[in-house]
Amino acid sequence: MQLQHFSVNDGEGIRTIVFMAGCPLRCAWCSNPEGQTSRNAMTHYVETEDVLRELRHQAIFYRQSGGGVTFSGGEATAQPEFLREMVDALYDEGFSLAIETCGQFDFEQQEPVLRKMDTIFMDLKHIDPERHRAFTGVDNRTILENIVKTDRLGVPMVVRIPAILGVNDSPEAMEGAFRFFRDNNLSAKLEFLPYHRYGEGKYKELGLPLPDEAFGTPTKEDISRWSKQAEEYGITTISYK
Amino acid sequence: MITQRIESIRQNYVNAKPALSCERAYLWTESHKKTEGLPVCIRRARAFYDCCDQLTVHIFDGELVVGAIGEHRKCGILTPEFSWLWVDREMDTFSSRPQDPYEMTDEQRKFMREKVFPYWKGKSLEEAFLSRLPEDTKKIGVDTGVIDSDSKWRQAVGEITPDYQDVLFKKGFGGLIKQAEEKIAELDMANAEDEEKRDFYESTLWTSRGIIRYANRYADEAERMAGEEKDPQRAAELRRIAANCRNVPENPPANFYEAIQFLWFVQIGAILSENPLALNPGRFDQYMDPYYEADLAKGEITEDFALELIEALWLKYSEWVWTISSNTADYFAGYNQFQNLTVGGRKRDGKDATNPVSYMALKATEEVKSHQPGLSVRIHADCPKEFLDAVTHLVSKGTGFPAIHSDSVGYQMLINLGYEPDDARDWNNCGCVVPHFRKTGEWTSAANLNFGSALEYALNEGRSLMTGEKMGLDEKPAAEFTSYEEVEAAFFRQFDNLCRHAVISLLTAQRLHKEMVPRPFLSSCNEHCMEVGKDLSQGGAKYNVGPVITGIGLAVVANSLAAVRKLVFEDKVCTMDTLAKALQANWEGYEDLRAKAQDCPKYGNDDDYVDDIATKVANHYYHEVHQYKDVFGNPFTTAFMGISNYIPMGRVLGATPCGRRNGDPSSEGVSPYVGTDKSTPLAAMRSTTKVNQEIHSGGTLLNLRLDPNLVATKRGQANLGAMIQTLFSLGAFHVQFNCISSDTLRDAQAHPENYRDLLVRVAGYSTQFVNLSKSMQDAIIARTEHTGF
Repeated sequence: MQLQHFSVNDGEGIRTIVFMAGCPLRCAWCSNPEGQTSRNAMTHYVETEDVLRELRHQAIFYRQSGGGVTFSGGEATAQPEFLREMVDALYDEGFSLAIETCGQFDFEQQEPVLRKMDTIFMDLKHIDPERHRAFTGVDNRTILENIVKTDRLGVPMVVRIPAILGVNDSPEAMEGAFRFFRDNNLSAKLEFLPYHRYGEGKYKELGLPLPDEAFGTPTKEDISRWSKQAEEYGITTISYK
Repeated sequence: MITQRIESIRQNYVNAKPALSCERAYLWTESHKKTEGLPVCIRRARAFYDCCDQLTVHIFDGELVVGAIGEHRKCGILTPEFSWLWVDREMDTFSSRPQDPYEMTDEQRKFMREKVFPYWKGKSLEEAFLSRLPEDTKKIGVDTGVIDSDSKWRQAVGEITPDYQDVLFKKGFGGLIKQAEEKIAELDMANAEDEEKRDFYESTLWTSRGIIRYANRYADEAERMAGEEKDPQRAAELRRIAANCRNVPENPPANFYEAIQFLWFVQIGAILSENPLALNPGRFDQYMDPYYEADLAKGEITEDFALELIEALWLKYSEWVWTISSNTADYFAGYNQFQNLTVGGRKRDGKDATNPVSYMALKATEEVKSHQPGLSVRIHADCPKEFLDAVTHLVSKGTGFPAIHSDSVGYQMLINLGYEPDDARDWNNCGCVVPHFRKTGEWTSAANLNFGSALEYALNEGRSLMTGEKMGLDEKPAAEFTSYEEVEAAFFRQFDNLCRHAVISLLTAQRLHKEMVPRPFLSSCNEHCMEVGKDLSQGGAKYNVGPVITGIGLAVVANSLAAVRKLVFEDKVCTMDTLAKALQANWEGYEDLRAKAQDCPKYGNDDDYVDDIATKVANHYYHEVHQYKDVFGNPFTTAFMGISNYIPMGRVLGATPCGRRNGDPSSEGVSPYVGTDKSTPLAAMRSTTKVNQEIHSGGTLLNLRLDPNLVATKRGQANLGAMIQTLFSLGAFHVQFNCISSDTLRDAQAHPENYRDLLVRVAGYSTQFVNLSKSMQDAIIARTEHTGF
């Protein structure tokens, strides 16, 4: 577990991100590789109470800015007990909560946690099951189901596409995703997260091979083109940058 | 949109090098030759009148607001009555010195040496101060960088806010003449006290008549120029200028334009009378808005024209240059005059005070990017969102403006000084970050005190590390300290001794100001002085606040004491003896130890281990200084404020246990040491608010650098607004932001010609980056740039 205070791109206001270690996916472009496994050189164990104490200390900044706590990873749901404990305590104390998840989780298990969120961010990495498996190690069946189920909870939700040249920038992939929104009548908003290579230092620290050089960062023009297309499908786009 | 006229004045302001005028010094001197034997207040007032009567009139191209202090558009003057020694010593290098150079010709130098200086030999404030100051205080308190008070005996005081609300805009100087005449008529000349009052009122008669005379001479000149002007539009402007100058400042302003012209005449009067720093326009939006709204209702002004007038005034504020010694320029770098102008906050009755003029003031600074006025805002808990947005928008433009202040902490600081609640609520800023009020007499930046020196003397047997000279009290060798507590006690002993010498130096200066340099013009702008017939220098104001001593190096001392505690007494990494030797060697040969020292807890990261020490030192400072009383019986005041003093004070400071090397900058205000606040800005804010800022009524300052990307969007700006409100709710008084990337600053160092109008926040004020010396520029770049937000 790691805390990152003073984050502003992961939800409203000034926030602290709680990064949780462990992830069911192995995305080839992952920017937080230290979060893929629960034990490695960059992770450490913490007590729930210690984390809560630190978050309470920051509460004054959340209050003024409309910010709060964002759970992320790794995969935020990878440690269900810890997540549940934290969310219950913080919810009762009136914190604004958000979660960033890859969507690969047991919906029934996570539903109580999701209902306590003020915003849910869920990734849609690739609409094609096989391509999804090729890049992340699992197919996207559970993820797509969970997007739909979570959308029905009525909690404000943002579906995020990590936009990566060479992975999901083809017209079929993008339009497939937009169609998925339309066909399921999703009320979630859509955010594009342009690929970046900021995580490479961590790969070196962990002794892992670097992500494929072929992965490219889309231009601003790419993003605005896709946003425009998405809007034609009736989708609302959003950016926290 | 900025008008073409303003843009052309702005271009001249940005590109012209300031030049000195000798005219005022000459007229002042000639006048004094004729008034030997008269009371000093009358002599000074008559010299003022003579300047107003005889200074050459200059109306420059395109000006809407007129009044010049000399022949140059970007101009400084000299005041030999305060000090001519340093001018004589330094003026040959005025054009070439690294910080704040001025143009001066050989002919001017010859003129000054022949026609002006000889008269003042033995008569200046500086000479009197140096002959009266006790030797032991002089050794540690004159040009040492340990205790520095030279702006109070080489310069005038300044540090004043004329009272537009209750005096000037109500009465005009014509009204003040009437008031003085009535008061004189009531006096009994057989009464010694009344005799002094008569002298005072007579001195204000001279100054009031002087400034009216000055304005009328501008009216004459404008009329003459209008007659010759071929461009009918400019001719009409000149006729309007003439009409303005006929009416103000003799009478209350009839409209917004006249009010703006009135403001500038008051600055002129103050500059001619003493060349002051921190001559604050005060709560501009409060006294200007009624004129704006009335004119608007009558259809006599447009928003665009009002903004143009404000911008013209901003450039006037920026064009005059405060002439200072190279030593003072180290402390107040960047041609800064510290004319602080405050907008926003609450009214006297507690309601929100923002109005259309508040927003126009922010807009004017955004458009003209002038380093003056020092634009300050007061933010209260219920500040309108629109205003906070306007403030963070201006921050995002990277000018370092505005200085952002907590309304309630400013109020509390004045309450702690004994102000009445309504007056305290009506506070404005003075100079850089001093809460102030227009009915006050105060020395707000009286002395700077080098905290690091006290620690140096404690660890080096009372001696300076860099010179070996005995400067402090006797102390045993560092090797003989057996506990952290002993080290801390030794530090406080040396510290208290420095405080004592600062007080002695200021008491000497205060007594001399009473005797030698009364201030009739500025006293007439102060309600209570006129009521009781007493000059500001004699304590005539409603509130007299004890001189402010500014502490420099809080972070350095806290970090260093923490390092001593941890390295020597807790982790036992080294002995006291080794540490002392490492410092004597400037860490050379002790690189490992230095690395460990740098790893010790540092103030600015929300770590109680070191923050508690900072708080303890700051509290001790308050109690120690507060026990001394000034010449009026008021306790001395403490501050952790800005200006560029942390550079010269670092220059004389040897290596410190925190890992700092010989001569590196010290730390400013309550800010963390540069580059050591490695957590988030939130943690830096926490550390600085552990210090009880509200007891340091001379003001506290926090500098932060932000990555410009953080505030590039509206959302980023909104978050910044929330962060500011949080900081203030934690008890901070002030925060200022530099939002210019290090890349831009480095490029500006390399190519100054491309960045002539780049403003940066120095400490409590903004100034043009290219007007800072290399070392000052480096110090700004070295501040931690917060990229997470």
